Amino acid sequence: MAQEESFIEISHLKFCREERVIFDDINLTIPKGKVIAIMGPSGSGKTTLLQLLSAQLRPTAGSVLIDGISMHDLSRKELYRARRNMGMLFQNGALFTSLSVFENVAFALREHTKLSEEMIRDTVLMQLEAVGLRGARNLMPSQLSGGMARRVALARALVLNPQLMLYDEPFTGQDPITMGVLVHLIKRLNDILGLTSIIVSHDVIETAAIADVVYIVANGRIAGRGTPEQMFASESPWIKQFVHGLPDGIIPFHYPAATYQEDLEL
Amino acid sequence: MIKYIAQLGAGGISFCQRLGVSGIFLFRVICRRPRVLRLTPLLCEQIYVVGVLSLLIVVISALFIGMVLGLQGYNVLEKFGSTQELGQLVALSVTRELGPVITALLFAGRAGSALTAEIGLMQTTEQIASMEMMAVDPLWRIIAPRFWAGFISLPVLTVIFMLVSVWGSYLIGVDWLGIDPGQFLSNMQAAVDFRIDILNGVIKSIVFGFVIIWIAVYHGYYTVPTAEGIGRATTKTVVYASLAVLGLDFILTAVMLGGW
Ligand SMILES: Nc1ncnc2c1ncn2[C@@H]1O[C@H](COP(=O)(O)OP(=O)(O)OP(=O)(O)O)[C@@H](O)[C@H]1O
Ligand SMILES: [Mg+2]
Repeated sequence: MAQEESFIEISHLKFCREERVIFDDINLTIPKGKVIAIMGPSGSGKTTLLQLLSAQLRPTAGSVLIDGISMHDLSRKELYRARRNMGMLFQNGALFTSLSVFENVAFALREHTKLSEEMIRDTVLMQLEAVGLRGARNLMPSQLSGGMARRVALARALVLNPQLMLYDEPFTGQDPITMGVLVHLIKRLNDILGLTSIIVSHDVIETAAIADVVYIVANGRIAGRGTPEQMFASESPWIKQFVHGLPDGIIPFHYPAATYQEDLEL
Repeated sequence: MIKYIAQLGAGGISFCQRLGVSGIFLFRVICRRPRVLRLTPLLCEQIYVVGVLSLLIVVISALFIGMVLGLQGYNVLEKFGSTQELGQLVALSVTRELGPVITALLFAGRAGSALTAEIGLMQTTEQIASMEMMAVDPLWRIIAPRFWAGFISLPVLTVIFMLVSVWGSYLIGVDWLGIDPGQFLSNMQAAVDFRIDILNGVIKSIVFGFVIIWIAVYHGYYTVPTAEGIGRATTKTVVYASLAVLGLDFILTAVMLGGW
């Protein structure tokens, strides 16, 4: 690919969790204003990668530069300032259970802006309209289904107009219609507002439809990189297995273990 | 033998480490630029949750403890023919010891465990992480209001406990067992000193409140993020807070009786 202005630069990132190496020497550059998809088998560390990017976790070695700022060397105050330009959709929504849907979305506005009550109301309703839940604004998170909760969380993450959006599995648990709407919403936000989006997803087809670049993570490394077309056409066994959903191949379906025979004491 | 000593050492180190972590945690909650205007509504809400909702159990316990003290005290004092001293007996035991200690134990069980479970659940469901991602400091937004609410509530609850249990013993002693109300009250008034008895009791409760709420929010914030972890953290809060209250009560009493 042509040399573009890189927005995020991950270099030599290594991360261990009690002895277990989750990532080993990851290098990534992400250009500004693109939709990046990160795919990989369950448990390969995609959520962990997002947490490292947003400095919720500290890497064992290596660095993450976002817009030229090294995320892991910031003081707490600077980190909070950097995060104001970031939105993150958590894998399970992570809505505030004590606040209604409306207040959940309004939360960041109330904390960070001095907008009038009317402005807050309009902004929140606009966000909820975009995810199709304007009518659910008075419900509590416990009254929402999993898919609805994730859409509210999406509205909440977008409310401050971040420059960088991290989506952890935005499509899981959505019906086909909602999924289509969300896919277009993410794409449209990207085109209109010029934000950079990183999508972690298992939904290969949907994600590939809007992604500019796809990364495949497996076994603690970047196993593949390219445009969606390149991915689908790829002859690499790693990528082929994942993209086409073949059960066995180089990417193990099983979590590391002793051999089956040993475990069953045969 | 060596292994045993090593285990002891490891335990000591991990204890010191936890003490350090919780100390820094406390420092970060307390020492920050006060934003009174923003904090006030959050604080009021938490005073309701932490304080007002604990009121019922405190009042009922105080009433029964006062009544039991009245009955027991009357039976003993009767042998010496000095039942009119009942007011003094109850008032002194309640203001000096029973009031602060029992209220603190009830508070640890009612409010402390609830706080730990609530904060622990927020940690488990990533609500705290998502708040951090929205660039809002959870220590400020979640922990600080709860901390100050507990700190304010316990002394108030303690004073209420003292009043109600004295009233309970009055019910038993005067209304039931027939002590002269004038003697009951004037003996009490003559014996109870504001500074030595009541103020010291309130000081105790301030210290207890600080320690209980510290233990509760610390264990909630550093919960192992599983259902089991929340259960364990809640238990720890109640156990540690109760032990801390009883231990501190001994130290404070020794200081107050000796030094003051
Ligand atoms: N808190 C934790 N403590 C220890 N290990 C963890 C923890 N969280 C995750 N892991 C391990 O880290 C690895 C990566 O987890 P991660 O949640 O990043 O996977 P993922 O790629 O997001 O999977 P999924 O697609 O199922 O969400 C997993 O193998 C898991 O065992
Ligand atoms: Mg995940």
